[in-house]
Amino acid sequence: MTEILTPLMNIGQYFIALLKGVPISLAVTVSAFLVGAILGIPLVLMRRSQYWLPRTLARVYIDVIRGIPPVVWLFIIFFGVGSSIIAFTPTQAAILGMGMISAGYLAEIYRGGFLAIPPGQTLASVALGLTRIDSLRFVLAPQVLRVSLPAMATYFISLLKDTTVASTIGVRDVMMLVTQQAQAAGGGFGPFIAAAVIYILLSIPVAAFARVMDAKLRQRVSR
Amino acid sequence: MNADQKPARASAAAEPIVSLKNIDIRYGNFHAIKNVSLDVYRGEVVAMVGPSGAGKSTLLRAINMLETPVSGTLKVGNFSFTLDHELSQKELLLLRRSTGMVFQQFNLFPHMTVEKNISLPQMRVLGRSKEEADKVTARLLERVQLADKAKSYPARLSGGQQQRIAIARALALDPQVMLFDEPTSALDPELGLEVLAVMRELANDGMTMIVVTHEIAFAAEVADRVIVMADGEIIEQGTPEEVIRNPRLPRTQKFFRAILDRH
Amino acid sequence: MIELLSNWIDWLPQLWRGLKVSLQLTGLAMLFGLPLGLLLALMTSSKAPWLRWPAIVLVEIGRGAPALVVLQMVYYGLPSAGINVSAFVSGSTALALTAAAYTSEILRAGINAVPKGEVEAGTALGMTKADILRFVVIPQGVMYAVPALMGFAILLFQTTALTFTIAIPELLARAYRIGAATYLYLDVLVLAGLLYLAVTIPFGWLVQYTERRLGSHLK
Repeated sequence: MTEILTPLMNIGQYFIALLKGVPISLAVTVSAFLVGAILGIPLVLMRRSQYWLPRTLARVYIDVIRGIPPVVWLFIIFFGVGSSIIAFTPTQAAILGMGMISAGYLAEIYRGGFLAIPPGQTLASVALGLTRIDSLRFVLAPQVLRVSLPAMATYFISLLKDTTVASTIGVRDVMMLVTQQAQAAGGGFGPFIAAAVIYILLSIPVAAFARVMDAKLRQRVSR
Repeated sequence: MNADQKPARASAAAEPIVSLKNIDIRYGNFHAIKNVSLDVYRGEVVAMVGPSGAGKSTLLRAINMLETPVSGTLKVGNFSFTLDHELSQKELLLLRRSTGMVFQQFNLFPHMTVEKNISLPQMRVLGRSKEEADKVTARLLERVQLADKAKSYPARLSGGQQQRIAIARALALDPQVMLFDEPTSALDPELGLEVLAVMRELANDGMTMIVVTHEIAFAAEVADRVIVMADGEIIEQGTPEEVIRNPRLPRTQKFFRAILDRH
Repeated sequence: MIELLSNWIDWLPQLWRGLKVSLQLTGLAMLFGLPLGLLLALMTSSKAPWLRWPAIVLVEIGRGAPALVVLQMVYYGLPSAGINVSAFVSGSTALALTAAAYTSEILRAGINAVPKGEVEAGTALGMTKADILRFVVIPQGVMYAVPALMGFAILLFQTTALTFTIAIPELLARAYRIGAATYLYLDVLVLAGLLYLAVTIPFGWLVQYTERRLGSHLK
C-alpha cells in the first residue's frame, strides 16, 4: 500500500510546489493570445486583399512564422535580437514571440471563418449599400468571430502547451519549476506527472468552453 | 402485361424459405415494426410497398439482422433463430451467407476494382480460392453485362452500372434469398431501367427475391406477391392484380391513387 | 553582408549535421508512433469499454501534456526506473509517444470518415468484423488520414528543436553553440531558421498536392 501512497503523496507535493508557476504560465499564454488575436486581424485582411502585394506579404509572413519552430523564434528574439539590437526580458521575448506566431495561426483561423460565411451575406451588404468597412464591421466580423470561436479555443489550449518553450529562455513558469524539481530530486517521473496533470487541468475549462460554443454554433447555423 | 404471360415461378413448396413470425422492432419509444409475420416461398418475388416510414426497409433489414428485433422468430433456409436473445457471431455469419442484400446507395468498396469487390468476399466469407472466385466473378460480370469494367474502379461507373456490380457482388456468394432495399431510388429513371432489367432476369431464373421499392410498375409486372406496409404493420397483401388494381383498404387506395396521379 | 554569407557557409556543415539528427528523430518518432497510434485509434473506437477507456486515457494524457514535459519526463524518469539509454533514444521515445497520441486522433477521424454504408455492405455479405476492418475500413481510413498525418509530421519535425534541452545535438543545439562561441547569435539563428523553413515549406506544398490527388481518387 505504501508503494502506491508514497509516490502519490510526492506527486501531491510536487503539484503544490508547481502551482507557483501557474500564474506566469497563464499570463504569458493569455498575453500572447491577445497579441495574436489582435495582430491576426490586419493580417487576415491583408491575406484576403484583392491586391497581390499585401496578399503575398501576408502569406509569406504566415508561412514563415509557422514554418520555424517556436523555440527557434524565441531564441532569435531573446538571444539574436536581444544581444545586438534591443534587450528583452525573457517574459517580453516570450510574449512577443508567441504573440507573433499566434497571429499567424489565428489569421488562418479567421480566414477559415470568412470562408464559412455564406457568400450571400456579402451580397446582401452590397445590395443594401453598406460600405466595405461597415459591412466588415457590422455584418462579417461578428459572424467570423462566432464561427471561429471553437477553433480559437482549441488553439488557446495548444498555445498553453507551446508556451512551455518560454522556460528555455528563462521564464519561470511551471515548466522551468518542474525541471528544477526533477534535477533536485535526481530524476524520477513524479514532478512531470504533476506538471502534466496541471496542464491537463488548465485545459479542461477551455475545452469545455469550446464544446459549449461549438454546440451553440451548430444550433444557430443548422438549417 | 397479362398475368398469364408471367412464367410460373413460385413453387407450391410446403416450407417457406424465409419465415418471420411475430417480429417486433423498437427504437426507444418508437414502435417501428408491430408484431409482423411474413412467409416467403422459394422462387417467389415479393414486392414491399407503402408510404415512407412504414417500416418496409426495417423489416427487410431484420431478415439479415442488420436491424435487431426485440422478439419473434426468424427462419432463413435451414437456419432458425428465436430473437429473444442476442445472436452469436457464428449464427449471424451463417444467416448472412444465406442472404444477399442490395442497397439503395450501392455501397461498393471504392478503393477496390470492380473485380476485387466481387472476388474478395467470396474468398474471405466462403473460403474460395482466388481461381474459383475469379471464375465466378467473370461469369457474373458477363451476366450483368459489365465484363469490360472488371478492372475499373467504382467511381468511374454510372450509378446504374455500380448497382449492377453490387447485385453481382451479392450473387457471388450464392445466397438463397436476395434482398433489395430500394435499389433504384438513387438512380435516374434511365439508369434504373438497366437495374430493373437485371432484376427481372434474376426473377425469371428462379431466385427468391424480396424487394422494397417505389417502382409500382415493376412490382406489378414482376412480383408474385405485393405487400403493403404502413405504420409498422402489413395492411394488405396479395397478387399484384388484387392489391394494386383493386386495393381493399381506403388507406391503400389512397396510396396507389397518389402514385398513379404522379405519373 | 559578405561577411554574413561567408560565416553562413562556414557554419553550414555543422548545422547540416544537426538537421540530419532532427530529421532522424522525426523519422523514428513517426515510424514507431504511427502503428501505436493506429492501435490506439482502433481501441478508442472499440465498443468494449475495457479497451476503450484505457486508450482514451492514454491519448488524452499524450495530447494534454506539453511535448517538453514528455521529453524531460522520459529523459529524467527512465534512469530512475533502472533503464539507461542514450539521450537520442530517450528523445525518440518521447516523441514517438507524443506522435502516437496525436496520430491516433487523426487516424480515428479517418476511420470514422469511411461511409457506414460500406460497413453495412460488408456485414450483409457475411464478412467478419475483423475482415471488414482489414479490407474496407482501415485501408480507406488511413488514406483519408494521410494529408493530416503529413501535416502532423511537419509539426513533429519542429518539435525536435525542443530536444536540445535533453542534450541531443540537433539543429538548434548546434546553432546555439555556434552563437555562444561567436556571439553572432542572430546570424546563426537566422540561418538555422532558414534551414527549418527549407524542410517545412516544401513539405507543406507536398501536403497540399497530396490532398488534391487523394481527394480525386476517392470521390
